[in-house]
Amino acid sequence: MSSADWKNYEPVLIPQIRDLHKIDVYEKNGGYSALKTVLTAKDKFPDQKSVIEEVKAANIRGRGGAGFNAGLKWSFMPPADGGPRYLACNGDESEPGTFKDRKIFEYNPHVFIEGALIAAYAMQITTIYVYIRGEYRAYIQMMEKAIQDAYDKGYIGKDIFGSGYSVDFHVHSGAGAYICGEETSMLESLEGKRGYPRVKPPFPAQKGLWGRPTTINNIETLAHVPSVINRGAEWFKGVGAENHPGPILYGISGHVNRPGVYELPSGVPVLDLVHEVAGGMRNGKKLKAVIPGGSSTPVVRADQLDGITMDSDSLREVGTMMGTAGMVIMDEDTDMVDMLWRITHFYHHESCGQCTPCREGTGWLEKVMLKIKNGEGEVKDLDLLLDITTQMEGRTICALADAAAWPVRHTITRFRDEFEARCKKSVHAVA
Amino acid sequence: MPEVFIDGERYIYEGEQRLLQFIQDLGKEVPFFCYHPSMSAPANCRQCMVKVGQPIKDRETGEYEVDENGDRVIRWFPKLQTACNMMISDGMVVHTQETDELVSRAQKDNLEFILINHPLDCPICDQAGECPLQIQTYKYGPEGSRFEVKKVHKPKRVQLGPRVILDAERCINCTRCVRFTDEISKTHQLTITSRGDKNYPITAPNTEFDDPYSLNTVDLCPVGALTSADFRFKARVWEMNQTPSIDITNAKGCNIDLWTRDNLVLRVTPRFNEDVNDHWMPDEGREAYRIFNENRISRPKQKLDNEQVQSSWNNAFATISEQLEEAEKSDVLFVASPHASVEENYLFSKFASLTGYRTPLFTPHIEEGKGDGFLITDDLAPNTNGCRLLGLEEKSASEIAKAVKKATVVILLGDHLVDRGILTSEDLKEKFVAAFATNNSETTKIADLVVPITTAAEHAASYVNIDGRIQRTFPAKETKYTNRRLDFEMSEGRLDRYGTSFDNWVTDNNKVDCLPMWEIMRRVAEQAGLEEFQYGSGREVMEEIASISEPFNGVSYEAMDEQSGIQLDSIKPTTVQS
Repeated sequence: MSSADWKNYEPVLIPQIRDLHKIDVYEKNGGYSALKTVLTAKDKFPDQKSVIEEVKAANIRGRGGAGFNAGLKWSFMPPADGGPRYLACNGDESEPGTFKDRKIFEYNPHVFIEGALIAAYAMQITTIYVYIRGEYRAYIQMMEKAIQDAYDKGYIGKDIFGSGYSVDFHVHSGAGAYICGEETSMLESLEGKRGYPRVKPPFPAQKGLWGRPTTINNIETLAHVPSVINRGAEWFKGVGAENHPGPILYGISGHVNRPGVYELPSGVPVLDLVHEVAGGMRNGKKLKAVIPGGSSTPVVRADQLDGITMDSDSLREVGTMMGTAGMVIMDEDTDMVDMLWRITHFYHHESCGQCTPCREGTGWLEKVMLKIKNGEGEVKDLDLLLDITTQMEGRTICALADAAAWPVRHTITRFRDEFEARCKKSVHAVA
Repeated sequence: MPEVFIDGERYIYEGEQRLLQFIQDLGKEVPFFCYHPSMSAPANCRQCMVKVGQPIKDRETGEYEVDENGDRVIRWFPKLQTACNMMISDGMVVHTQETDELVSRAQKDNLEFILINHPLDCPICDQAGECPLQIQTYKYGPEGSRFEVKKVHKPKRVQLGPRVILDAERCINCTRCVRFTDEISKTHQLTITSRGDKNYPITAPNTEFDDPYSLNTVDLCPVGALTSADFRFKARVWEMNQTPSIDITNAKGCNIDLWTRDNLVLRVTPRFNEDVNDHWMPDEGREAYRIFNENRISRPKQKLDNEQVQSSWNNAFATISEQLEEAEKSDVLFVASPHASVEENYLFSKFASLTGYRTPLFTPHIEEGKGDGFLITDDLAPNTNGCRLLGLEEKSASEIAKAVKKATVVILLGDHLVDRGILTSEDLKEKFVAAFATNNSETTKIADLVVPITTAAEHAASYVNIDGRIQRTFPAKETKYTNRRLDFEMSEGRLDRYGTSFDNWVTDNNKVDCLPMWEIMRRVAEQAGLEEFQYGSGREVMEEIASISEPFNGVSYEAMDEQSGIQLDSIKPTTVQS
């Protein structure tokens, strides 16, 4: 199925089935058959390694934003030594503009549970944690219910399908920190510590949770695993863009008529997503800009979007990224200065404070942005902002400083006129 | 041998080494704040950024790839790396701020960030003068600031515990203090609270930072965020003299520095000694600075009609001689002290043996259960092992009391036996009691003769610690009879070099009228007709001990200074420093 043919795509993660979150309904629709295949069909999957190979061949690129091949990540786990190993599922989902995992928790939790179980089996892991942001109170409860149901049915627990494989599954609630979506600070948080990202190396596959080998996957990434097993890696690879294959949950928000989460192949043209999938611009306004993958990905002007599709290669052409595919659509009335100030406010509020450039830089960015927003800024402040972003980028332990710096740099460079118009006339002006 | 290239120079190295430590050990410099050699490296201050690359090796042959000039092809890390947590590997190429524009730029940028929310209140900050942030800003920082908006405000003057005060605005969030309580003192009393630029270290709600090692965090703090409740606003560091010494409040013998101004010891800080205390010391030892200043005995005192009155030195020596002559030899008792130095105890016992008195007794000063297996010991005296090695008679408290009751003349060396509860004033009635002591106490109050002697802050003397390590002190403050400018053992501070005696902080007020034990014993011996006490310094006493006493063979002040203390073979270390 090519990207262009997206109108005929049949969703697999969030199909139109009533009460799919209930385990009976999920089973009736072929649920947990992939897990059964993996655990019992020795002709198809003689060992754990064959599962990893299949997933690797499917090239599921991590849906959390970094886009790393999930199967390849799994293969980095060292050989089992009898000690504990962990799978940590990242459902912190705190990036502004991103709300796709929520749809899975709410609508089809078992497809994620099944995927996580297959992943755990493939990596010989016996403990799974799913870390869900604390604000998702209702979904945490739904997830706990779903896991309990799967325990009751024998999909989780001891000796699943008589294969001798046993696994435990725990839900862990976050406490409202964006930074805990960063994989290593999520591990710290799981350990009950302050959410400070860890220095890498050592990587989590070597020393993760409690110093043991750990793999961290995004919820959506794992939710894709059952269909890869059921339909084969070839099918998955055939969906959407070549270098970023498979279905994607597009979370579309902003000034459109039908915001929401849409499951479609990767590589759908951005303008199709805006004008057709999401029902077009609200009140017939003109499109002004799109943030393609959550607030940290650089904003793109409408005039840059012709022919650009939602896959990493195409987005790179206009200097942005796929991120989480949480698209923010902005119409012509949007004030880019206000928008950028709001983003800097978010990163200032959420910087964990561990590394100097991010701790100090995010606050400085916000304060200067506030000055400009209030009409008290000068043109030289814009250059200062660009300088600060250069000083922050690539100089911290985790990528939050980059995430905070990119939107500032790109919004200013791409909408410079608008920013200068807000600045007061100044003798210092250098622009 | 594996090699590493730093700023174009080739160095060889051994084993696993952190790059920053290696650069420092070479005597070169890369600025940093959060790194500390005895703790983990969280790499959070981001100040020690350097450019690091690795030569490309041919996978098959194992040979380095070379370019057309025959130089190795280097694959650089795409980003600058923090040197503190970078392990050196063979062939690594490093560019520091000395040779790379980007690195010096990055370090300058980082300092600009650190300073934007720092209050820059150096003129009223205790840390000024010994502040890594101040020093490194002058060396590597930006010339000004482009920060024209409002700084973050955070709690100030927070009493974290009985001894430590926090100014959160000065904090640069290096987490050294938090890591100290996690990794070294293991009380876990501090943590970072809040997020981003609002964060600062604090205790859990309703708990105190009463860690017995809490003041180490004040030394560790690279800015003035944590200050000592006791020392703050007392003195500027550049007005003080820094003199190496030994902690005499317990048997560990932590290496310390005494900081003096106008002949008052104002603070005590730990001095690095890998074999004893690493970089640390207990808070108790720091509070001991008071014993050098307060409640000192100045001029001898003598009892007249049951009341102590000021006496003179001549009178004091005459009185001792008289009493010794009059008494039967068997009725005279010398009580030595584990609180006094090796030299003092030696002189005491030498006098006793030359004049035919009983060998001096001593009783260890132990408080069971006080020790923590780290730097606090059950033994409250600094020289118990020294007394043992000198061959003094070790007695229990009750044996000492019994012996004192039998004697008619009792000569005490610095051990306050009444205060320790070993003797009562009743026991000392009807006897002649002479006390050689530094500070007034219940014991000196009832003595018939009190002879003031120098403290560890005023003389050079040695102490044998619990592990059998002999270490020595230096004179840090003047007595009435010594002069900083004439005594080469005394440290030279900025004021000594540049100030004049008219500088108003140099006065005679705080000089104590006391003498070192070797001088007192010379005078006592002269009265008794003995010629064997012609010493000119503690150094000569130690030379004599080393030549005649086997356990001290090979010990000298020079050797102790060179090796920062000498491990004596006759005592096995009880604890092993990891």
